[in-house]
Amino acid sequence: MKDNTSNIWIGGKDLIKDPEFIEISQKEFAEPNLLENLGNQEVAEKLGGNRRDFLKFLGFGLGAATVAAGCDIPVKRAIPYVVKPDTIVPGVASYYSSTYVSGGDSVPVLVKTREGRPIKIEGNNLSPMTGGGTSARAQASVLSLYDTARFTMPQMQSDGIFEGISWDKVDETVKAALANANGIRIVSNTILSPTAHAAIKEFTAKYSNAKVVTYDPVSSGAILDANEQSFGDRVIPEYRFDNADVIVSFDADFLGTWISPVEYAAQWVKGRQIKDITNPKMSRHIQVESGMSLTGSNADNRIFAKPSEMGAAIAYLANKIVGGVSVPSLNDEAKASLDKVAAELQAAQGKSLVVSGSNNVSEQILINAINSSLGNIGKTVNFANASLQRQGSEVELNELVKDINGGNVDVLIFNGCNPVYEYANGSALATALGKVKTKVSFSQTNDETTNLCDIVAPTHHTLESWGDVEAKRGQLSIIQPTIKNLFTTRQYEESLLLWAESANLNSDSDQPYFDYLKNNWKNTAFATQSTYSTFDAFWDSVLQDGVFKVDSGANNAPGFTGNASSAAAGVRKPANTEIEINFYESVSMGNGQYANNPWLMEMPDPINRTSWGNYLAVPVNFDGVRAFDGFNGLEDGDLVNITIAGKSLTVPVIQQFGQMPGTVSLALGYGRNFGIKGDAVGVNVNDVLTVDGNGNTNYYNTDVQVGSKAGKEEYFSCVQYHHTFGVTAEEEGTGEIINADEAATVFFDYFTGVKGFQGSLTERSIIYNSTVADLKENVKDLKKRRDHAQHLNEQQIYRGYDENYEMGHHWGMNVDLNSCIGCGACTVACMSENNVAVVGKREVSRHHEMTWLRIDRYYYGDAKNPNVVYQPMMCQHCDNAPCENVCPVNATNHSSEGLNQMTYNRCIGTRYCANNCPYKVRRFNWLDYTTADLFPANQVKIADEDLPFGADNLTRMVLNPDVTVRARGVIEKCSFCVQRLQTGKLTAKVEGRRLQDRDVSSACMTACPTGAITFGDLNNKKGDLVKKNNSPLSYLVLEEVNVRPSVTYTMKVNNRDKSFDA
Amino acid sequence: MSSVVSPIREPLVTGGKTYHQITEDLISPTERTPSKPWVIGFLLSVMTFSFGAFCIIWTIWHGIGTWDLNRTIGWGWDITNFVWWIGIGHAGTLISAILLLFRQKWRTGVNRAAEAMTIFAVMCAGLFPVIHMGRVWLAIFIFPYPNTRGPLWPNFNSPLLWDVFAISTYFTVSLLFWYTGLVPDFATVRDRAKGFRKKIYNFLSFGWTGSAKHWQRWESLSLILAGIATPLVLSVHTIVSFDFATSVIPGWHTTIFPPYFVAGAIFSGFAMVLTLMLVVRKVLKLEDYITLEHIESMNKVILATGSIVGVAYLTELFISWYSGYVYEQFAFFNRALGPYWWSYFGMMFCNVVSPQFFWNKSLRRNVLFTFFMSIFINIGMWFERFVIIATTLARDYLPSSWSYYSPTWVEIGIFVGTLGLFFVLFLIFTRVAPTVAVAEIKSILKTSGDQYVGKNLGHAHSHDETVSTEEAH
Repeated sequence: MKDNTSNIWIGGKDLIKDPEFIEISQKEFAEPNLLENLGNQEVAEKLGGNRRDFLKFLGFGLGAATVAAGCDIPVKRAIPYVVKPDTIVPGVASYYSSTYVSGGDSVPVLVKTREGRPIKIEGNNLSPMTGGGTSARAQASVLSLYDTARFTMPQMQSDGIFEGISWDKVDETVKAALANANGIRIVSNTILSPTAHAAIKEFTAKYSNAKVVTYDPVSSGAILDANEQSFGDRVIPEYRFDNADVIVSFDADFLGTWISPVEYAAQWVKGRQIKDITNPKMSRHIQVESGMSLTGSNADNRIFAKPSEMGAAIAYLANKIVGGVSVPSLNDEAKASLDKVAAELQAAQGKSLVVSGSNNVSEQILINAINSSLGNIGKTVNFANASLQRQGSEVELNELVKDINGGNVDVLIFNGCNPVYEYANGSALATALGKVKTKVSFSQTNDETTNLCDIVAPTHHTLESWGDVEAKRGQLSIIQPTIKNLFTTRQYEESLLLWAESANLNSDSDQPYFDYLKNNWKNTAFATQSTYSTFDAFWDSVLQDGVFKVDSGANNAPGFTGNASSAAAGVRKPANTEIEINFYESVSMGNGQYANNPWLMEMPDPINRTSWGNYLAVPVNFDGVRAFDGFNGLEDGDLVNITIAGKSLTVPVIQQFGQMPGTVSLALGYGRNFGIKGDAVGVNVNDVLTVDGNGNTNYYNTDVQVGSKAGKEEYFSCVQYHHTFGVTAEEEGTGEIINADEAATVFFDYFTGVKGFQGSLTERSIIYNSTVADLKENVKDLKKRRDHAQHLNEQQIYRGYDENYEMGHHWGMNVDLNSCIGCGACTVACMSENNVAVVGKREVSRHHEMTWLRIDRYYYGDAKNPNVVYQPMMCQHCDNAPCENVCPVNATNHSSEGLNQMTYNRCIGTRYCANNCPYKVRRFNWLDYTTADLFPANQVKIADEDLPFGADNLTRMVLNPDVTVRARGVIEKCSFCVQRLQTGKLTAKVEGRRLQDRDVSSACMTACPTGAITFGDLNNKKGDLVKKNNSPLSYLVLEEVNVRPSVTYTMKVNNRDKSFDA
Repeated sequence: MSSVVSPIREPLVTGGKTYHQITEDLISPTERTPSKPWVIGFLLSVMTFSFGAFCIIWTIWHGIGTWDLNRTIGWGWDITNFVWWIGIGHAGTLISAILLLFRQKWRTGVNRAAEAMTIFAVMCAGLFPVIHMGRVWLAIFIFPYPNTRGPLWPNFNSPLLWDVFAISTYFTVSLLFWYTGLVPDFATVRDRAKGFRKKIYNFLSFGWTGSAKHWQRWESLSLILAGIATPLVLSVHTIVSFDFATSVIPGWHTTIFPPYFVAGAIFSGFAMVLTLMLVVRKVLKLEDYITLEHIESMNKVILATGSIVGVAYLTELFISWYSGYVYEQFAFFNRALGPYWWSYFGMMFCNVVSPQFFWNKSLRRNVLFTFFMSIFINIGMWFERFVIIATTLARDYLPSSWSYYSPTWVEIGIFVGTLGLFFVLFLIFTRVAPTVAVAEIKSILKTSGDQYVGKNLGHAHSHDETVSTEEAH
C-alpha cells in the first residue's frame, strides 16, 4: 500500500526525521508504561510491581474500599492488640499500688490504668499514714505524666540552645566531668526513698568529693535544727492531732500545706466529729496567724498576730507555760487571748499539741519547750515514727553558693529541683552557676534552673518509675511503674549508679534499677520481717499492698534538752511598720513545683477562690453602712502596685475576710518563667524573701508599701463573687450588730437610707451551723425548720415521684460539712475522673469554669474575725428535678436508680436546665474547650500554648475512656460517677452477689482525706449512708423548694470560744 | 350622611375623601419611585441587618461563648429580645382580631400596618430561641417528628416546647389574617397596574373580582380568623410567661405572670405601632387616615395597659413581702436595690410613671409627645424583660454562685440586627402593599343608614360644622 502519510508531519522533529522522535512514534505508548516506569524506581522495585501485581493491588484496593465503606465513621488510632497481654482486659481497669511523691510530699496511692495508660489516682487505704486520703496535688500528678513540656530525650545546651543527645553521650560527658572534678554537689529536695539514698551513698563513695545539698521548696529547716538542739534528733516528729484535745498552731497550715497535710487532716478530723448530740464534745483548735490559711479557716478561734509578732506570740505562750521567757511587745488582744489559750493548754496536759510553721530556730525551740512542758512528747509529739518528709535546709544552699564562689565546685547535679526559682537567693545562685564547669539536671521539664544547665538527663515521671518511699520512719511504701517510659528518659537513681560505676547495678538487665531496688529491699525490709519466708512472696505482697511497716527502733520520747530562756532572745522582733506582708504556700501550687499542671492552676484557691495567679489578700472592713472597704480602698480585681524591700510588683487584689488589719498576704509559687507562662500566672515573690541570722528564710517582710488602685485586672479569675453568709458587724450610728453582708447586697438605696434586707441570707436553708455550746438548741431549731419545709412540701396537688425509687438502688450522698476542710482534692479528682475541661484564666474570669464539683466557701460570724464553712456542691440528683421538666428535648432525665442523667447527644443547649437549677451546678460548654469540635477556630488556648490544651494526643492520654468528652454547646454536670456505679454493679453481678455499698464510690468520696463524703444506696437501710443521713444534724439544702435532692448535708459545728471575741 | 354618626364622635377619615381619592392616596405609594427618605432608611436598615447577620454567624461559628452569659446567668439579651419582640407583635393581633370582633371601626386606619408589624416582630422574635441554642444545627430535635430512636419525642412538659407550638401557630394565623386582608387591596393594585406588575398582583390577589360572593366569603373568613386569633392574643404571651412561671427560680415562679405578660405585650405593642405609624403617616402623608383620633385611642390603650402593668409590678412586690418566703422577698429586694437597680428603675419609670401623662387629653393628642413616649415605653418594656431574666438569675438561691452579666458586642449586634431586619421588612412592605387597608377604610367612609350622595364634603374641620351637619338631617 502506498504510504500516503509521508507528507504529513507532526511538529518540527518529525519534519527533520529526528531519530529519537521516530523511535518514540513507533511505540504503542508515547509515554513509558506507568507500571514499568514505576518498576525502575526503588520503591516500586520493593513492591515488585508488574501487571499481575497491579491486578492484585486493584483487587485488594477494591476489597479494602468495600470493607471500609461498610463501616461507619472510622475510629481513629484504635489499634487492637495483636497479641493480647494476659494482664490487660480491654475495657477493664487495672489498679497498681504506688506512691505519689514530689520532693517531700508523698501520698500512698493506687493508680488506675486502662489499656496500659494510667488515668486516675486513688488513695491507698492500707496506708497507716493517710488511710486512703489523697491531696489535690496527688490527684493532679497523673496529668503531669502527659505534660507536653517534658523533655523527650537527654539534652545538651550550648549557647542557650538545647539539643537532643544520646544517653551514651550523656554518660560519657558526665563521667569525664566527674572524673576530673574538684568538688561535686548533688542538689535535691528531700529524698524520701531509702533505695535512692543507698544509690547516692554509692555515688558519694565513688566520688569522695561529692556532697548532697538538700533543701525544701518551702523550708522547714528551722524545725529540724530546733529538734536537733532540743531532742538530739534532726527530724520532724510524728504529730498526733487525733490525740489532742487542744490544738494551737502558730502559722502552721497543717491541713493545707504544712509537712504532711493529708495525714494531719485525717487525724484532726477525728477530734472534730460530734458523736453524741446530747453530750457533744470536740477538740478546740486555735490558730495564731495574720492571713487566712486553710487551717485557720477551719480553726475554732483565730488570734491575730502580725508576721513579725509571731515570735512574740510564741514567747508569750511559752512564758505562760514554761516560764522564764522574755517577751517582745505584742498586741493586747493577742495577749488576752493567749492567756486563755495557756489556761486551756494547761488543763489538757499530755492531750494537747502546739505546732508552728515558723522558720525561726529559736521559736521552734520555744514550741518544743511548750510541748515538753505540757507533757506532750511521746503522746502527741512522737519520734518513733517521726516524719522524714522535710529533710532539707536552705542553710545548705547558702553554703553551696559560698562553695561555688570559692571555686570549689566543678560539677553540680540538680535532682529535679529548681533552686534558682525557689531559693531566696536564687539570683545569687544563678550568677554563681557560671563558675561551675558542668551542670547536670535530672528535671523532666525545663525550668529556671535546668535552663542554666549544660546537660539534661531527664528522669522518669513517678508513674514510670520503680522506687520506694519512707515518708515516716518505718513506714515504707512502694513506687511501681504503671506505664513504660513515654520518652527516652532514665531514672535519676540509675543515672547516678551508672556514673558511680556501681557493681550492684546490672546495666545489662531489662530494668536495672528494678533489680537494684529489689535487692535493696531483700537486704533491708525483707530481713526485718518473718511473715514471708521467700523474698518473692514478700515482694508480691508489698507490690500488692503498696505499703509495708517496719519497726524504726527510734526513741519515741526523747527528753527536752533545749533552753527556752536563751532561745527567747532569738525570736523575731516586732517591726513597727504600718503594714507587713505574709508569704504563704498555696494549697495547689506549692512553691511553684506544680505550676505546670493545668488542673492545679485551674483549681480555685480554697480560701480566696481565685485561680490562675496569686492575688494580694488585703484586709476588709465594714463601713457601718453597706460597703466592705478593702485596705486602701481596694476592691476585688483591682490592680495594685506594691513595693517589697525595694522591688515593685503589680498584683491583683482580693478582699480577704479574716486578714489581720495591718497585714497583707501573697502566695508563693507563681510567676514562673517556664511551663504555663505569660502574665496569666501571677508574680514571683521568692526573690524578695529575706534570710535571718541563722540563714533560714523569712516568709514575711516588714518593708512593704501598698499603693492604691492602679487599674483593673483584665481577667479576674475568681469563681465566687459573694463571699459571706451572714457575717455580723456594728452598724454606724446605732452601734447595733447587724448582718453586714446583707446590708452590702444593696447597691443603691434611692436616698432612703435602707440598710439591707436583714435575714435575706441567714434565713436561707443552705448552711446550718452551730457552736458546740449551742448545739442542742440549734438541732432543735433545725428540726423545726425541716418540719416546716416538709409541711410545705406536703401541701401540693402532685403526688411526686418518690415511690418510683423505692425499689432497687437509689443512689445518694452525704456530705459532712464538719469534716470537710475545703482542701480541694475532690475537685481535682472529679476533673480527672470525668474528663472535665480546663478552660484557662480568661474563661474562668467570665465564670465559664466547667467544674462539676465545686467547694463553696462562706465566711460567717464576726466580720473582722469570721469562721469559715466549706460546702462541696455538686448535682443534687433531685428526685423532683426542676432541670428535667424544662428541657424541650428530654436530654436530661431521671434514671430508675434516682440519677439525674445527661444525654449529651440529645442536648441542643438551650441552657434552660441550668437556669432552673437552684444549686447552679450545671455547666455549659460555651466554647470548644475539649477541642472536639469540627472547626479549629473555636479552640480555646488557655495560656498561649502552640496547640490548645487537650488537643494534643499526649495530653489526651489522660482521658477516662469511660466518660464522653463533651462537645461545644452541650450542658454537662456531675453524674454521681455513673461509670463507677456501672463497674460496681458489674463486679457484683460477675461475683453473683448483692451489691454492697463498698462496691460503689464516687471519685470525690475516695479522694477525700477526711471522709467527708459518703456515697451509697439510700435503699440500703443498713448502709453507712443511711446511718449518716439519719443523724439529727443532717439536712437537705433548699429543702422547701421541694426538688427532693439526693445529697444530704450535715450541720457545721465549731468549738468557738466566744469569750475570745470580747 | 357622612362617617359621623354622633355629634361627639370625631370622623374616622378626615379631609372629605372620595372613594377614588382614598384609592389614590393609599395605592399610589406602591406605584411611585421610592422617595429619598425611604432609600436612605432602607440602606441603613440593610446595613444594620447585615451586621446582625454577621454577629449571628459569628455566634454559630465560635459558640455561645462569644456572649457574656455564664454558669449562673444562662439567658441574657437573647431571651430578653425574644420576649420583647413577641410582645411587640401583640398589638397587631389585638387590633385586627379583638377590635374587629368589638366592631371598633377606628382600627381600620392602623390594622394593616399593625398586622405587618406583628408578622415581622414574630420573625425577629423567632430568631432568638433558635440562635440561643448551643447546637443550633440540631434544632430539629424540638419538633415531634417520627424517628427511629424509639421513637423519641420532645419533652411535652417543657414550656420551651410549648413556645415552639405557640409561636408557630401565632405566626401562621397572623400571616393568614394579614394576607386575607390584603387580597382585595392587591386586586385594586392589580387593576391599576400594567404589564409584569399586573401579573404579579394578579397572582397575589387570587383572581379577586370583587363579586358579592367574594366579599361575603372574605368577610366570613376574616371573622373566623379573628375568632381564632383572639385567644392567641392571650395565649401566646401566656405561654411565653410560662417559660418563667413554671420554673423554681424566685422572681420567676409567679402566678401573676400570664396576665401581666399579656398586658405588657399589648402595652409595648401599641407603643411600637405608634412609633411606626407616626413616622409612616408623616412620610406617606396619611394624616387623613391615621388621625389624631387614632393616636388618642391608642394612647388610651397604652394608659390602660400601662396601668395594668404598674398594678402588676406593685402586686408582685406586695406578694413577695406577704409570702414570707425569704428567697422571693430577696429576689424583689434585689431587683430594686441590687446591682441592677438601674434597670428596675428604668422599667418602673418608663412603664408605670410615664404613661400617666396620658391622663391629659392634650398630651394624648400631641404627636411629638406621643412619639417620644412610645420610644420610652419600648425601652421600658425591654428593661422589664431584662429585669425578669438577667437580674433574677444573677442572684438566686446560692450566694456562692451570684454573678453579674453585661452583653458583648456580639449580643448587642444581634439585637441591633433584628431591628435592621424589622425595618427592612417594614420598608419593603410599604412599597409593595397599601399601608392602610383600602377596602376596609372605604367601608367606614359611610356608616349604616347613610346614603352615599355625591362628594363627601369636608365636615371634619371642626366640631361645630359636624354638629350642624348632623342637625341638618
